[in-house]
Amino acid sequence: MPDAVSTEPGVVQPTSASDDVLRVEHLSKRFGPVTALRDISLHLRKGEVLGLLGDNGAGKSTLIKILSGFQKQDSGQMFLHGQPYEPKGVDDARSKGIDTVYQDLALIDELSVYHNLFLRRELVHRPLPFLANREMKLRARAALDEIGINIPRIDVAVARLSGGQRQAIAVARTVNGDADIILLDEPLAAMGAKEGSMILDLVARLKEEGKVSIIMILHNYVHVLQACDRVSMIQEGVIALDKPTAETSVEELTDIVVNEYRRAREETHAETRAETGVQG
Amino acid sequence: MASGTTEPAPAGPGADAPGGSGSPGAGSPSAGAPGGRGSGSGEGARGRGLTFRGDDGLLSRVLALREGSIIVVTVVVAIYFALNTSSFFTSANFKTLLPYFAPFAILGAGEVFVMILGEIDLSIGGTYLLAPYLFYKLSATVGLPLVPAVIVALIACMAVGLINGFFTAIVGISSFVVTLGMLFALEGLTLVISHGEPVETPGAQVHATTREVTHVVNGVQIHLPEQVNHISTFAKIFGAGIYSELIWALVIVIVLQVVLTFTRWGLHTVAVGSNKLGAGEAGVHVKLVMIRNFVLCATAGGLVGILEAVRSSSVQPDTAGANEILFYGISAAVIGGTLLAGGSGTVVGALIGALFLGILKDGLILQGVNANYLLLYLGLSIIIAMTVNVYVQRVRRGSHSA
Repeated sequence: MPDAVSTEPGVVQPTSASDDVLRVEHLSKRFGPVTALRDISLHLRKGEVLGLLGDNGAGKSTLIKILSGFQKQDSGQMFLHGQPYEPKGVDDARSKGIDTVYQDLALIDELSVYHNLFLRRELVHRPLPFLANREMKLRARAALDEIGINIPRIDVAVARLSGGQRQAIAVARTVNGDADIILLDEPLAAMGAKEGSMILDLVARLKEEGKVSIIMILHNYVHVLQACDRVSMIQEGVIALDKPTAETSVEELTDIVVNEYRRAREETHAETRAETGVQG
Repeated sequence: MASGTTEPAPAGPGADAPGGSGSPGAGSPSAGAPGGRGSGSGEGARGRGLTFRGDDGLLSRVLALREGSIIVVTVVVAIYFALNTSSFFTSANFKTLLPYFAPFAILGAGEVFVMILGEIDLSIGGTYLLAPYLFYKLSATVGLPLVPAVIVALIACMAVGLINGFFTAIVGISSFVVTLGMLFALEGLTLVISHGEPVETPGAQVHATTREVTHVVNGVQIHLPEQVNHISTFAKIFGAGIYSELIWALVIVIVLQVVLTFTRWGLHTVAVGSNKLGAGEAGVHVKLVMIRNFVLCATAGGLVGILEAVRSSSVQPDTAGANEILFYGISAAVIGGTLLAGGSGTVVGALIGALFLGILKDGLILQGVNANYLLLYLGLSIIIAMTVNVYVQRVRRGSHSA
């Protein structure tokens, strides 16, 4: 069975389009005994917003971490603008234009909004390398204005901002960093409807501008259909579905998940029966 | 909380000024950072200024600083001793006070950089003890000139910091454990290479000469021989000059505060201490930042060891003394407002914390406290002062701590 992984029914094979910015083929990743990714293939077109769905533990976050250079895959290839893409680390990935907004946001509570926006890319004076705070503030303000994020004061510590504002700043940081592929790991997690719609608006604006391509992990199917061009669903470390959002529906997505639950439950029952059988 | 972002706006301009220019005396570098990392802290300061809106007095401005409450506590303690002892506010006493606090300020300054990371460095007691012996060996046995000998000894301390950083940041052992082990190891190493014997500090010997001095007594000129002590320029610079340690302390504190507030090094230090995982995900070189700060801290310990050895003109293999110095250094940082949990702290705070310790010890001695009671009083005073400190901070943060 493990040998036949790539031909297993239900596994979406690598596809591509002529304007792909990112392509991933047969990615796998294990953590000790746990297989996080078995065989992941997906692609991202220029200016596209791809929604990534999947259960907790299905491997979405692992995939994002590999794409962003934070972890390395065990096998499989990635291609960025048609060239082999093997990030040596987060910095390397970022320098190649892939940037990530993590679930935990990677914001530094103690630091101001603009220091967070410029973290690791701080502007400094010359010859003495003091922080060019005035310049960073101006640019931060301009960057936030450009993507329409309303933060009253950019010199407040981010600890004092709301969840939505923090998320917006985290997104702005990636855009500000000249990323052309942005990975959003559950951007709407723990967020109220109002804040969530602020983030979805932000994504829509970015899409309109067309400069960036976005992969976004989401849980809410309505959000996916509303904000994404295409949806990929990960189940047990493989891509189980890959369709334009126009061709799918909340019902179809729900069915896949419900079937998955049924199958998993039967499996558990079968195992339990087998175990008790051995003992008896 | 949306209130946090909209609320400070009106207070901004008014409260900005004290943060920038009104910071009295010692608080200046950290507080005067309207845009530096201070914006993390300075912003906090501005926010805190809210609490005192409408009350623009000096006290509220001082309290708006991160190290504000300890400044107040220190001043109160100084006033207490000034009122209760006749000799506290004298220049002679000021000179006695210096060695009580300048070394701790330097140690505390280094420790702040490690403690903001959420780590601790106990090995400064070890480098404090070892560095002067290395200096002695390099100078007396190897034959290096004095200044190069100091430099090589300090490089050895940097190596110690490198090892601390390696085990903490890369191997992943708790810094408390690593540096505790390093403390014992270095103290043991010092005992081994010194055979437990004190030695004279190279370059710090005092040469006494006598000269005739003419006095006029009752209209009669008399000539009396008077002893004049000569110390080398090296010794004057490295600890033996009356103000030498004070100048070292001030320069180091100012430079490190500037580094902490106005450079990427400082910004990344706060970032790692505040959210290590997040800083790493954002691309900050977490391990490098950690190792660098451990190197800095261990070196500060070694420098203080050499300064103290030159000042006292002897190198003592006194492990108990080194441990005490270590705890004073950490106390200075903690009293100065640096959180043991990391993420926040100021170097100037460590200077004030050291001053507080010095004034307390000196004042208690001047008051004629029985030597046996000294530590007891010192300990209780620290707890009381810190309790006041915490209380003042709570009042200060009241508006946005919820």
